[in-house]
Amino acid sequence: MKNDLIIRRLKFAQDYTQLLADENYQLVDMNMVEPFNIDDKRHHSSTIIFERNEQLFSIRSDWTRSLLNYSEDYHLSQRFFGYFGPVVRNYKTFHQAGVELYRPTDEEILASIDMHLSFVTEGYGEKFHSIVVNDDTLLDLYIDKYDLDSGIRNLVHEKNLSELKKQLGQTHPLYILLSAKVSDQMDLVNAEFGDSDIMRFIDRLKQALEGYGMKFILDLSFRSPQSYYNGFYFQAFLDHDYPLLSGGEYNSSAFGIAVNLSNGGLL
Amino acid sequence: MITVALTKGRLFKDFLKYMNENDLNNYIRALDGETRSLYTIVDNVKFIFAKGPDVPTYVESGVADLGIVGSDIITEDTFNILNVSQLPFGDCHFSVAALPDQEEFRVIATKYTNIAHEYFKNKRQDVSLIHLNGSVELAPLLGLSDGIVDIVQTGGTLKDNGLVEHEKIMDIHARLIANKRTFYTKEDEIYDFIKEIGVIE
Repeated sequence: MKNDLIIRRLKFAQDYTQLLADENYQLVDMNMVEPFNIDDKRHHSSTIIFERNEQLFSIRSDWTRSLLNYSEDYHLSQRFFGYFGPVVRNYKTFHQAGVELYRPTDEEILASIDMHLSFVTEGYGEKFHSIVVNDDTLLDLYIDKYDLDSGIRNLVHEKNLSELKKQLGQTHPLYILLSAKVSDQMDLVNAEFGDSDIMRFIDRLKQALEGYGMKFILDLSFRSPQSYYNGFYFQAFLDHDYPLLSGGEYNSSAFGIAVNLSNGGLL
Repeated sequence: MITVALTKGRLFKDFLKYMNENDLNNYIRALDGETRSLYTIVDNVKFIFAKGPDVPTYVESGVADLGIVGSDIITEDTFNILNVSQLPFGDCHFSVAALPDQEEFRVIATKYTNIAHEYFKNKRQDVSLIHLNGSVELAPLLGLSDGIVDIVQTGGTLKDNGLVEHEKIMDIHARLIANKRTFYTKEDEIYDFIKEIGVIE
């Protein structure tokens, strides 16, 4: 690895953790060896497990899971946490940085997203190209309103336009929505469910991010690769094919944001 | 520029025929011709030629933004991709085939073990599977298996080897698949292309 990359990563770690400390996040640093938890393996099958003294342990593969396990085992005096450190998946070590917010309000989530975007734009002089958002529960609104079979979920998740057209017909609002350009979906969803809490939150986010001048995309097919996200989810891209920032709601009352230090285009 | 992964085989010929029928002359001129080159560029679209089973791997990784692949490949293995649309060509099907007088199937040879496993599991039929990489028609002729699970297009290969179809498993079509990230970051170019080839109106 080039010296320059190592130095830039360490500089990022210092600047990012300093920002979090200034914004009253509790910084955490935890042992990489953790008690084995079967849910960690379910969420990250590449998690390495080993035995020592007849007990099973795993090596940290995801900071969000580690903090979630910790928060379920111990009483926390804080609600906002920040981290930077290595994780191991499939024998490969890489670094994660991010925050976890427990029981946040909408305002606190918006502020944290804005804090991350401005850290990148102001600190690194980078410009975000686009942000993609979705909330899994938006599809529930369509399923309820149009009395659709729940099997439609899989077709929407894989954006199977030909099968959706066959099952719904090409004039059905859900087919029209999903076959539209993804950057046109926001207006179509707003026309039907603009007064829902979910769309009000997404609208607020869109307005809050207007100053960044990036493309705002809502797509009902867009989902996290991590199955524990179960509500609002987003990814923000520099002019690059991998997201730099990703985050969302999980466990019904927690919200996490992670910075992609491997291939997000920042370092 | 977007990158589209194609496979040079039966599906490619069907794709050329489809483009011919739909007057996509710009692409036909660049694609229709004997060449050993592994890619070609037409305006804003770079076509790369890969082995069929590798097409979804290129798309999943983002090396290719779109791919045209048989549904057999993305049914046999799981890929983290958008499975955007069936295309109106590349039609064939999976069948259980064997010698005409074969009455029961206890051992099946196939390249597609996951599809065969799922099929017999759904029928609650206890069948042993043998994985072969090709020329599976040999297996029942040489006594390695009672039958085969394979793709049937015209049935010519089966007939040439004295085999017949016993059970049809599923239809196969060409499908357009897309990368889950560049579908957003290259939205305009991707929509222009899928509109041009008739996936959306």
